[in-house]
Amino acid sequence: MIEATGLTKRYGSKTAVDGVTFTVQPGQVTGFLGPNGAGKSTTMRMIVGLDKPTAGTVTVNGKPYAAHRSPLAEVGALLDAKAVHTGRTARNHLLAMAATHGIPTKRVDEVIELTGLRPVASKRVGGFSLGMGQRLGIAAALLGDPRTLILDEPVNGLDPEGVLWVRNIAKYLASEGRTVFLSSHLMSEVALTADHVLVIGKGRILADAPVSEIVDGAARKIVRVRSPQATVLAELLKGTDAEVDAVEPGLLEIRGTDAATIGELAASARVVLHELTPVASTLEEAYMSLTADSVEYQSEAIAGHAGTQSDLEGSKA
Amino acid sequence: MSATVTVPAGGSAPGTTAGKTEVRNVTFWRVLRSEWIKLWSLRSTWWTLGSTVVVIVGFALMMALIVQLVGNEMEGAAPEDQAAMGGMLGGTMVVSAGFDMAALVVAVLGALMITGEYSTGMIRSTFAAVPSRLPAFFGKAVVLALVTVVLITVSLALSWLVTYPILSSNDATVDFGDSGQVRSLLGTVLYVTLVALFALGLGALLRHTAGAIFTVVAIFLVIPTIVQIATFAASQLEWVGTVNKLLPSVAGAQITPNAGAFPDVLEPWVGISVLAGYTVLVLTGAAMRLKLQDA
Repeated sequence: MIEATGLTKRYGSKTAVDGVTFTVQPGQVTGFLGPNGAGKSTTMRMIVGLDKPTAGTVTVNGKPYAAHRSPLAEVGALLDAKAVHTGRTARNHLLAMAATHGIPTKRVDEVIELTGLRPVASKRVGGFSLGMGQRLGIAAALLGDPRTLILDEPVNGLDPEGVLWVRNIAKYLASEGRTVFLSSHLMSEVALTADHVLVIGKGRILADAPVSEIVDGAARKIVRVRSPQATVLAELLKGTDAEVDAVEPGLLEIRGTDAATIGELAASARVVLHELTPVASTLEEAYMSLTADSVEYQSEAIAGHAGTQSDLEGSKA
Repeated sequence: MSATVTVPAGGSAPGTTAGKTEVRNVTFWRVLRSEWIKLWSLRSTWWTLGSTVVVIVGFALMMALIVQLVGNEMEGAAPEDQAAMGGMLGGTMVVSAGFDMAALVVAVLGALMITGEYSTGMIRSTFAAVPSRLPAFFGKAVVLALVTVVLITVSLALSWLVTYPILSSNDATVDFGDSGQVRSLLGTVLYVTLVALFALGLGALLRHTAGAIFTVVAIFLVIPTIVQIATFAASQLEWVGTVNKLLPSVAGAQITPNAGAFPDVLEPWVGISVLAGYTVLVLTGAAMRLKLQDA
């Protein structure tokens, strides 16, 4: 269990994490989702005491991380970059980590086996691929058989087989009653792995809900309507609280009401419909709509393209 | 068609252990063991330690050959002249001739022990395992001091052994019955160890390998050389002499057989205490930065 209260981190005038409060429950995989630069890694570093919060507190299994007498048994953390000396072999790295907690060599060999590192265990880490580095990070996180796992972008650089493996291991560990907190900027990854999701943008928590709820609730559902009398229908809908978007002549995208209501309205006004389709939203869309305003590095439309678009809008008006 | 179930390599049943994994509390002793493993699992350690031995033994051999040449020249000279020469090129001086170069090599090791962790990101793993941080830093210091003491003692013993045939034929061996000579050799071990710890502290303060090594070289080699020139060029200026005798290298070296000839120097034990003082200062600053700042 991880509990953060008013957790804040400022670097000079820049606020990386802005008073976030959340609880990560044991027994499920919690995804930590947000665009790059949203504050995911900073939050995770504060959880394991590497960065000191400017304000607020965060505890793991009831205590601040540094107050635990055997921290590796409480939290296993895979942090963003490779946190390993490149000149040391994988096995020696794990042996050195294990020594701090009196963890026997047998366990070191176990996690090497578990993470599929055996062929490279006696090779120096400097020559590792990104995927091998990630596996080593996960091996180190598992060393102390911890009750809580914090994995920052664990599937980064992994091949499809490795991605599947991380997904399985995260779910398995959660099923054992452990707390699994996993960050990603990839919606699809979180959708597949997590049961619960925390969405963060510009240092603030934007959503904290089960994955299914985010998909159903937070996203705005769209109904696509094709009609030769689209303008008439749009006029009729103006009386309701529905939001109408004329995508192209004869095609409307309607938000804020459902297909049945639109169908009935159209029938009562004798408007012909060629298509009436509820478009199921995805977690991806929910995510995009949640984080649209909080993307740190927004890609701007190419100037020429933007110009054409506004030109078009101008000619329409 | 038969369906095949693909099992991802590396364990599709991603279990942890069936039995309970043995995990104990973090203690200083365990942190020491971890730092010990870390030290010996890097090639840079073997390189620097090997170089140190080569430097100390090499310089000793070179000095022994000089003693031999001078001995040949002095053949037939007045006994009092020969005695004066023996005093200037004594056995302890020969055996420990490479001590300041060796100190710089060991300083590189000291700095690397911590800057290597910052440059690779290893420091985050270290502090995740030892979140109170200071035990990890002091663990490094203890391991470094221990290794340096043994290394320098062994190197000096090797130098003594290798130069013994030449020195004995020139009547310039180390007299282990002379407490002054023994003290100066032990002082050499102490000097190099303090420089190594000084470099470790600088490494933790600067968190940058090249920066730390450059600073150590500046403090122990470049600045003393400049000040030394100044003491001769402007010997009438009293403060130049004062600065000179308080330099970490000059103060610390008074206890060694190769103190260098200056008109104004500190007593050997006072001098080494001054160097120890600087070292404690740097280590304290490093400990504070380590404890207070983000890793």
